[in-house]
Amino acid sequence: MASETKLSHTAAMILQALDAGFVYGFSIMEMAGLPSGTVYPAMRRLERDELIHSQWEKQSIADAEQRPPRKYYKLTAAGKTTLQASRRRYPLLERLIPSESLEVVEAEEASSR
Amino acid sequence: MKPSFKPLLALIDRGLLCSAARLVPGARRADWLREWRAELWHVRQERAPMEQLSWQAEREIASFCLGAFQDALCLRRYRWRLGPLLTALHGSAAQCLLMLAAILAVSYGIAWLSPGVRAERMLTSRLQNPGLILIQNADGASTAIAPQQYLAWKNRRHSFFDGFAFYRVTEESILPESETGSAPKEPWKVAQASSNLLTLLGLTVRDATAESNSTLPQVILSKSFWKSEFGADPRIAGRIVRIGQRRARVAGVVAEDTWNLPGKVGAWLLQPDSTLVVSGNGFIVAHLNPAGQEKMWAQVMQISEYDEDESPSFLGYNIDQWQPGSWGIYWMGIIFALISLPAITSVSLGEYSLNPRKTSWRQRLYRWSFFCAKIALLLPIVYFSTLDLAYISTAYSSHFSTNIQMLSAFAFFLFGLRWALLDHRQRCPVCLRRVEHPVEVGLASRTFLAWNGTEMMCMGGHTLLHIPALPTSWFDAQRWLYLDTSWEFLFVGSGAG
Repeated sequence: MASETKLSHTAAMILQALDAGFVYGFSIMEMAGLPSGTVYPAMRRLERDELIHSQWEKQSIADAEQRPPRKYYKLTAAGKTTLQASRRRYPLLERLIPSESLEVVEAEEASSR
Repeated sequence: MKPSFKPLLALIDRGLLCSAARLVPGARRADWLREWRAELWHVRQERAPMEQLSWQAEREIASFCLGAFQDALCLRRYRWRLGPLLTALHGSAAQCLLMLAAILAVSYGIAWLSPGVRAERMLTSRLQNPGLILIQNADGASTAIAPQQYLAWKNRRHSFFDGFAFYRVTEESILPESETGSAPKEPWKVAQASSNLLTLLGLTVRDATAESNSTLPQVILSKSFWKSEFGADPRIAGRIVRIGQRRARVAGVVAEDTWNLPGKVGAWLLQPDSTLVVSGNGFIVAHLNPAGQEKMWAQVMQISEYDEDESPSFLGYNIDQWQPGSWGIYWMGIIFALISLPAITSVSLGEYSLNPRKTSWRQRLYRWSFFCAKIALLLPIVYFSTLDLAYISTAYSSHFSTNIQMLSAFAFFLFGLRWALLDHRQRCPVCLRRVEHPVEVGLASRTFLAWNGTEMMCMGGHTLLHIPALPTSWFDAQRWLYLDTSWEFLFVGSGAG
């Protein structure tokens, strides 16, 4: 995938959210404020274009937490390069979803426990 | 809400996911469904973790599940490799023309299959054979003519006529043969006619029982008689009836309003000439050849016998009933719609621009060709769809169908033209794609101080369309803003987005 691939703002937001540590479809929805009918198809397209890849969580982890295993997504090397290009095109992207968002979320979750 | 609803709602959500999964290609379905079910579990935990239920939470969960349909359709498009094609077609001129062509194919197909439309065409073909006259006695107390006169004319060569038929109207009872012994019914008027009468009038009755080799004379029933006496029996063809003392075989049913000759009759009994001669007087119907039609003056023709004095013995009255036919009615509706169009919409194509850039002549030609193609497809769509509507059932009388066709041709073409103009005004002059993403700009209360209206964007990045909410003296019609190359970075260059 060429590093100069132009992404729509939605796709760039999803890449930024993944980079910020929101690795599940629903968490990306929550962060970006987009509906499921937009986020999941966009992730299929990004996966098809090899900008992200998906992997199932280990069953043992899910069993330990008494919940079904989730599929999580990660940026590929090409995805990271494209995200860098997108950040130049959309300078407000990082302010919209800062990379430290995950740390804030994790801290909130820890405090709630 | 009662807590007992919660399992039911959860079941509905799972049902939605299972339904959406049917759209996913089989190889990916299990994995896809597993992911969505896991996500649904987390959505439910997040939105409705406790036994407390709220409509708001359930609506959000249902909305999440409905998004699965879009995801499933997305995967299906990838499988068929339709994604790029659908993206290219979306909002394009080709999509519009394909949609119109599909509507045309459907309306034509219905017209081709509809028995009502076929019957109308048959009736219209009759109008293509003008020159029918009704011959009556010019002198004497009665206008009726003896059948011997008919036979004499029929067997003679003529300069102005190429066909003769004879009929007389009598009152007789008509009974199905199975009810012959029952009490006599009220008599109906029966036209005892020569066997070529209906053919001469242009009414083709397809005899469904022609293969029966029956020697009985044929009888054609009027629609009202068929309904009142036979209860609109669809198996009437071929049945034997008794008309007075004679037996006859029912050959078919015709609508009364196709008969415009003197005498309102319930049935037409077609007989050989030899039988007609021995009965009373009647009327002669003749068909004029082109030379005869030239001799026709003021709808009346004087007919004299050879070897007679100068005074005409007979008068021939023109019985060609003017009917515009479906084609004429259609064009009337089209003309009325064209006249009425300015009353319901502006006829402007909205090609004003905000900046001085003009489109090339090639782009203008392309734009006008597209508009003409839309109108060219709209015309047959209106024709066939009005025929479908007017003649959807053969039970309608031709007058009713005519009115329906006239009104529907007017309405369909009027609103079709309106749509064509509105559609054209919202297509980018450069690429002919529909502009999208309408944005309301400004406040109505500040109309006279600032711009107030709707802005729409061409997804190809060529233009912005400004539509004023309230036409003013300085901005009374929509205007196009042509975008230069500095805007390109805003538009997606690949399908990844």
